[in-house]
Amino acid sequence: MAIRCRRPGVCVLVLYSFVFIAANEAAATDLPESSAIAIGGDPAYGEYLAGECMACHQTDGGGNGIPSIAGWAVEEFVDVMHEYRAKIRSNPVMQTVSTRLSDEEIVSLAAYFGTLDK
Amino acid sequence: MKFSRRKFGLGATAAAGALAMPHIASGANPRVVVVGGGAGGATAARYIAKDSKGGIDVILIEPTRTYYTCFFSNLYLGGLRDFASIGHTYGALASEYGVNVVHDWATDMDLSARTVRLASGNTIAYDKAVVAPGIDFKYETVPGYGVESANKMPHAWKAGSQTQLLKAQVEAMPEGGLYMMVAPPNPYRCPPGPYERISMVAHILKQKNPRAKIIIFDPKEKFSKQDLFIEGWGIHYEDMIEWLPASFVGALENIDAKTMEIRTETEIFKPDVCNVIPGQRAGRIATLAGLANDQGFCPIVPATMRSQIDENVHLVGDSTIAGDMPKSGFSANTQAKVAAMAVRASLTDSKLFPARFANTCWSLISPGNGVKVGATYEATEDKIAKVDNFISKTGESPALRKKTYEESLGWYDGITADIFG
Repeated sequence: MAIRCRRPGVCVLVLYSFVFIAANEAAATDLPESSAIAIGGDPAYGEYLAGECMACHQTDGGGNGIPSIAGWAVEEFVDVMHEYRAKIRSNPVMQTVSTRLSDEEIVSLAAYFGTLDK
Repeated sequence: MKFSRRKFGLGATAAAGALAMPHIASGANPRVVVVGGGAGGATAARYIAKDSKGGIDVILIEPTRTYYTCFFSNLYLGGLRDFASIGHTYGALASEYGVNVVHDWATDMDLSARTVRLASGNTIAYDKAVVAPGIDFKYETVPGYGVESANKMPHAWKAGSQTQLLKAQVEAMPEGGLYMMVAPPNPYRCPPGPYERISMVAHILKQKNPRAKIIIFDPKEKFSKQDLFIEGWGIHYEDMIEWLPASFVGALENIDAKTMEIRTETEIFKPDVCNVIPGQRAGRIATLAGLANDQGFCPIVPATMRSQIDENVHLVGDSTIAGDMPKSGFSANTQAKVAAMAVRASLTDSKLFPARFANTCWSLISPGNGVKVGATYEATEDKIAKVDNFISKTGESPALRKKTYEESLGWYDGITADIFG
C-alpha cells in the first residue's frame, strides 16, 4: 500500500503498489504486447475491457474533444484513472467509467493502451 | 468449358446447398451472419472478425451502401455539419477485417434450420446470428399517418433522404410560418433526439425566419433532459417554442397529410412543416423471425445479449428490450461488444467475460451549448440494470457547455471509427 500525492493537498490512496510497480517496469522495458497485458491479468480480458474505451477514444492518434489514449505511459494512464475515480478530475463520463474498474483492470487497460502506437 | 442451361442450373443449386450448410459440422470456420449494419450490427461484425483473427467467417447483411447515422443528423438539420459527414461506408469492414459485406435485405429467418433468406433469393446458413435491425414504425400510434405520408410529413427518424427532405422543408417555410413536431410515445430510439431536433430547427429559424413558431405535440408528460432543454429554449429561442403535452390539448385524434391538419381532442393545428415521429417497434425481420414479443421488441439474456427465444441468435441495439438502457447508437455499440464476446466464446475457445454496458447521450441546445446524460449498467438475472448515472446541470457555464459540445465531436469520430473501422 502506498500514498501518492499528485499536488499539494490532494493525496490518492494507492492500493495496488505491487501491480503498479510491475506495470511501470513493463512500460520501461518495452515488453512484447502479450507480456505487458498479462501483468494486469488476462490479456484477452484487457482487450475486451478496452472495447468500452473505444466507444469514445480513438487509437490512431486523432482526437479533438476526447483525447487519444494510445501510447500513454502506464503510470500516467493509471494516475489519471485513479483521479477520475477519486473525483479529483471532473468529467462525469470518466468518473462513472473509472468507478466500475478495479485496480487490476485499470492496470490491464494501461498496459494494453501503452502497447498501441500513438 | 461450356455450360448448358441445365448444367448451369445444377451448379447453382449445388452452390446454394453448400451455402446453406452449417459450417461447424463441415470442419470449416464457424460462420456468423449479422443482420443489419447500423451502430449495433456493424460493431458486432467488426469485433467478431477482429477478435477472432480469422477464426470466424462473418457475413454482414445491410441493404444500404452508405449508412447515415441518426446521431448527429440533427446537427446536419441545424446547419452545423454537412450531410456527407454523417455518412459511412462498409469498405473498411470488408478490406481490413475480412467481413463479407452483402448489400441485400434479410426477408426471413428460419431459426430451426439456422438460415437467413435474402431479397435476392439467396439463403445463407449460420452457426450463430446477430440480429440488429433497428426500429420500424408503429404507424397505428399516429391516426391518419402512414408510409405514404412520409414525403409530405417526414419522420426523419431513420437518417438519410428523410433528413434531407425535412431540412429542405424547414428552409422553404413561409416567413412567420409554423413548424410542428408530433413527438413519439415511449419507448423510442434516442430519447433526447426529438428535443435536440427542436433546438436545431429553432437555431435555423432564428437566423432565417425569426418570426416562425414551433409547436411540439407530445403524447408524453415528460421527456429526456427536460429541464436542460426548457432552460436552453428560454435563453436562446425566447418565445419561439411551445411544448404541448396531451394533458394540455388532449390526445391526438387525426393527422391529414393532404390538408396539413393535426387534430387533437381540443385543438386543430395547421403547420407549414410537420415532422411526425411515430411509435416504434423492432425492425420487421425480428418479428418475422419470431424474435420479438407482443410489444414488438426482442427479449434478451442480459449477460450475453442472446435471444430469450432462440439460443443461436444474439440481438443488439434498438430492437432489444435492454432494461434500463436507452435506445441509442452508444448503447447498441456497447451491447454489440458483449454479444461479439459471447458469440466468440460459443464458437471458439475464447473466454466468456462479464458483460459491461455504458451509454452517454450528448445533445446540442444551441451552437457550442452541449449537454449530456449517461450511465453505466450491469447484467442482472432479470435485466440490464443501471449502476451509476449522471446528467448535465441547469445553469452550467458557457465554457463547460462548450467543452461538452467539443467532447461530443470527439465521441462521434471515436464511435464511428469503432463501428465502421
